[in-house]
Amino acid sequence: MAGCAAKTVYEIFQSMEYGPTAAPSAATAQAWLEHHSRSLGLFIDGAFVSPAGRRSCPLTDPKGSVVCSIVCSEDEDVSRCSSSAVSGYKSWSSLTCSQRSRVLLRLVSVLGLHGQCVSELCDLCGAACSPTALVRLLQFYSSWAQLRDALLCDWTPVGVVVVVTSDDSSLYSLMLKVLPALAMGNSVIAVPGRSAAPPALLLAQLLAAGGLPAGALNVLTGSDVTLGAKVAQDPNASFVTYSGNQQDGAALCKATAGMGLPVSVSLCIGPVCPFIIFESADMDSAVDEVVQAAFKKRKEVHWVLCVQESVSESVTARLKLRIAGLKCVSLRSDADRVLVDAAVEEAQQQGATLVQSCPPPPGSQYPPTLLCGAAPSSPFVVSPPPGPLLPVVTFRSNAEAVVMGNHSPHGHAASIWTEDLTLALETAHSLSVGSVWVNSSSVVDPCLPVSGHKDSGTCTDGGQEGLYQFLRPSGSTPLPRSAPGLMDYTRFGTEPSQAFIPESSEPGSSPQSYLQFVGGKACKSVSGCTMAVRAPGGSAVLALCPDGGRKDVRDAVEAAVKVQPGWKKKSPSARAQSLYSLAKGLEAKRLELAASLVSQTGVSLDEAGQEVDLSITRLSVWAAYCDKMQGGSLPMPQSGTALAIPEALGVVGIILPDKRPLLSMVTLLGAAIATGNAVIMVPSQKHPLPALAFIQVLQSSDLPAGVVNIITGSPDQLTVALANHSVIKAIWYWGSAQGRQYLQHTCASPVKSLRLFHQDQEGNDGGPDWTRSQPSLLQDLWRNAVQWKSVWIPSA
Amino acid sequence: RCTDLDWISRVRVNHQAVLKRAQYIQSLKVSKKQWQAAWLLKAVTCIDLTTLAGDDTPSNVHRLCLKAIQPVRLDLLKNMDMHDKGITTAAVCVYPSRVADAVRSLKAAHSDLPVASVATGFPAGQTPLETRLQEVRLAVRDGAAEIDVVINRTLALSGQWEAMYRELHQFREACGDAHMKTILATGELGTFTNIYKASIVSMMAGSDFIKTSTGKEPVNATYPVAIVMARAIRDYYLSTGYKVLDPIILTCKIIIPVCVCVCVCVGVS
Repeated sequence: MAGCAAKTVYEIFQSMEYGPTAAPSAATAQAWLEHHSRSLGLFIDGAFVSPAGRRSCPLTDPKGSVVCSIVCSEDEDVSRCSSSAVSGYKSWSSLTCSQRSRVLLRLVSVLGLHGQCVSELCDLCGAACSPTALVRLLQFYSSWAQLRDALLCDWTPVGVVVVVTSDDSSLYSLMLKVLPALAMGNSVIAVPGRSAAPPALLLAQLLAAGGLPAGALNVLTGSDVTLGAKVAQDPNASFVTYSGNQQDGAALCKATAGMGLPVSVSLCIGPVCPFIIFESADMDSAVDEVVQAAFKKRKEVHWVLCVQESVSESVTARLKLRIAGLKCVSLRSDADRVLVDAAVEEAQQQGATLVQSCPPPPGSQYPPTLLCGAAPSSPFVVSPPPGPLLPVVTFRSNAEAVVMGNHSPHGHAASIWTEDLTLALETAHSLSVGSVWVNSSSVVDPCLPVSGHKDSGTCTDGGQEGLYQFLRPSGSTPLPRSAPGLMDYTRFGTEPSQAFIPESSEPGSSPQSYLQFVGGKACKSVSGCTMAVRAPGGSAVLALCPDGGRKDVRDAVEAAVKVQPGWKKKSPSARAQSLYSLAKGLEAKRLELAASLVSQTGVSLDEAGQEVDLSITRLSVWAAYCDKMQGGSLPMPQSGTALAIPEALGVVGIILPDKRPLLSMVTLLGAAIATGNAVIMVPSQKHPLPALAFIQVLQSSDLPAGVVNIITGSPDQLTVALANHSVIKAIWYWGSAQGRQYLQHTCASPVKSLRLFHQDQEGNDGGPDWTRSQPSLLQDLWRNAVQWKSVWIPSA
Repeated sequence: RCTDLDWISRVRVNHQAVLKRAQYIQSLKVSKKQWQAAWLLKAVTCIDLTTLAGDDTPSNVHRLCLKAIQPVRLDLLKNMDMHDKGITTAAVCVYPSRVADAVRSLKAAHSDLPVASVATGFPAGQTPLETRLQEVRLAVRDGAAEIDVVINRTLALSGQWEAMYRELHQFREACGDAHMKTILATGELGTFTNIYKASIVSMMAGSDFIKTSTGKEPVNATYPVAIVMARAIRDYYLSTGYKVLDPIILTCKIIIPVCVCVCVCVGVS
């Protein structure tokens, strides 16, 4: 610094250089840390607790000096915290909506007083979050707390919510889950990653001071993500939600498999996101924005710059000019430097040209670097190292831009630059990402639903859509908790199904043989094997059905993938007509279906008739829903247009329940295809006949071939096939605890969204009562069949 | 120089993105201490010290000229060790009729500070082309070294960029050896896209400097406008290779609070 201070005015006058930036003051935050003797405890039952004899883990700032130390929680702390959360849930959920709203609003004024301390602490710990963003979150969710009963009637809070974030997550992404959970009346156990831990503790303290009942928000700290799994294991937890990087997310999913606990993840740290500049863009603004987004010190996503070939030269020329004036960015560690060097060397070997403001100095500083001439398949594009690197790829046409934008397995966000509104909207619709920012980037607001498409997550945060993960329809039963059993995941579903041996020699009495339905055609299984369907309670063979396996699933997925985009693109009213025609077809085959129900489940003909009637009504209800399941424009605080669009997931696999075999099937089928998905259904092993009889209805309908596929066989074997098929995005499952554990473990990476229901050997399940058509039940179903996309088009 | 009118039709400026960028630049922290002093002094040397009033007389023009030679108090400059570094404003700017007075005053003070004269029907530019050209010639004859011309907003707003180019080109010829500084009157151009196009056309026609406004419109220099013009300058540099002094945006950042009429410095080498 001494050298800098000696610079004379004249020298600076000539060189026009920038002065040193003053280090931001952190006096208030330091004083708060001092007050806690620089070792922070846990926040349980409305107060700080410092249990004795715990390992503590130091937290360092970017320069390497210790800021404070946090406690590593142990089992004892977890159980203490969970009982606090249970009592917190009691007192918090018994308040009225407006009381809860008032508590959250009060924190806004508390933040007005202590915002300085919060932001300084965030800066110190490297989990930057501006107080204004927190205030906006609080205001948004306090109004939702106020209106819960008015606008979300018929839903109840899930109970104790566990919010886990990874070490590199910001305080904002933690609060984006904590606050809606609180607003909906849940109590929360927050397990923040290291960097967000101190500010989270401070916020918990401030919330408690603002009148939040003791125990409604607890904060546990630990050294890694295994603490999240430990907390999840506690029997009082009812839902786990995670936000952060992909590795920790997968580890958490695997660790919580089989606990009988729904887990949802948002993998918002580290995805590869396209930054697309069309020739019709305001290039200067686009270049300024990409420089700002890609060479930030702490960037949460890796941008890949896609430029239309006709303007690539002028974009690169502008980038070169801009980069020349940029300073080096400090990397997080020396280990990162090794990764960056390796990636740059590899890029050069593949012929990429480097643009840097200066040759990289040794150490943890690295200059902003352009890697021109990259290809979407280059390793440094697919799995980019942390650091200020920006690969540049070019595309020729608008369609090619979409292909490149969709190339990465992640589906977090995209930024597109064009002055052509039609092109912008078309591209926004075709990109499979959760957030599309037109002529802008990295815009976050609690009213925008953030949803990870593809491998970027299974839940939606923010907006009204993000509230439903913290609610369940009133009257539904949550999954029963269980202890994960020791199981060999490689052996699940490998048992050969019971072979069907001909027993009686009477020629006239051979049972009827059914076919399965793949790609619009009724067919045998690929293996040609069949299995027996037994009458209720008896051993008599009622019929034969195909014994499908992995190959059948593969064929079905192939057919489904081919037809699903077209089905999704159809207008909602066209989908409605198809569903109405399906209902009509069912009506025409009413007697056959009723008969199959009678012979399969042993109910009376009257009851069977009722179930068929209910099924016809249910299909009509879904047909009516088709154009009612809509997003809309969102009230952003800035001027512009924000849209929330529900989109089909893609291909959904369903392992159907035993109960009400026809009604449950059409209910789930309707929810999935009304929203534009294609389905692969596995009828219950016990009661497959109604589903197989339904095939003739499907054949006579005008549904495109491949939208609905029905495969019979051993559910375990087919579950394995569905779970391991990368194209299938969601699985809805009724079955054993073992099957659920297998799915949770297997679908952790790449992640699939799972809806798991308990069903025991006798066919009793914890799923919905199919005969009721409670609006929240149907809403729950269709909301699970869509993923949200938010499009932000700012205007002046 | 480049006269590619296709280029003009391809120009696109996204209004909100520019506003956002302006907001970001304004949120940057300003360097303090000697850096602040040095940058402010640099700003002073970029100013055209101006009087453009109906009641201008030789006496106040004389005072203005002396102020231009010594814009900052000597004891302050001595403190910074800048008293002998020739800190003056860039020029003195007056109406054509006062050019002779200003030249006389500066000569008497033994200063080689240039005199700039507004011309071409300043500020509205709504006079016949013939008189506007004549104004330029007379100002040059009286000894103005820089001519501030205003663009014809009628042509700009009706999209007649080629006609505007021809007018500016004639001004350029009339200027002879004097620098031509083109005032865009951005407050009257309606959109950022028009500002960008006007900047490019002015540079194509041979302007040595482009300026935001006359100081007589209701809206004058603003950050977003400075950004748009600086980008146009960069764009022009990239396409033609004419070298531009680079610290444009940050120069504006400090200049704007200081003076009404921003001089975005485009030194053409």
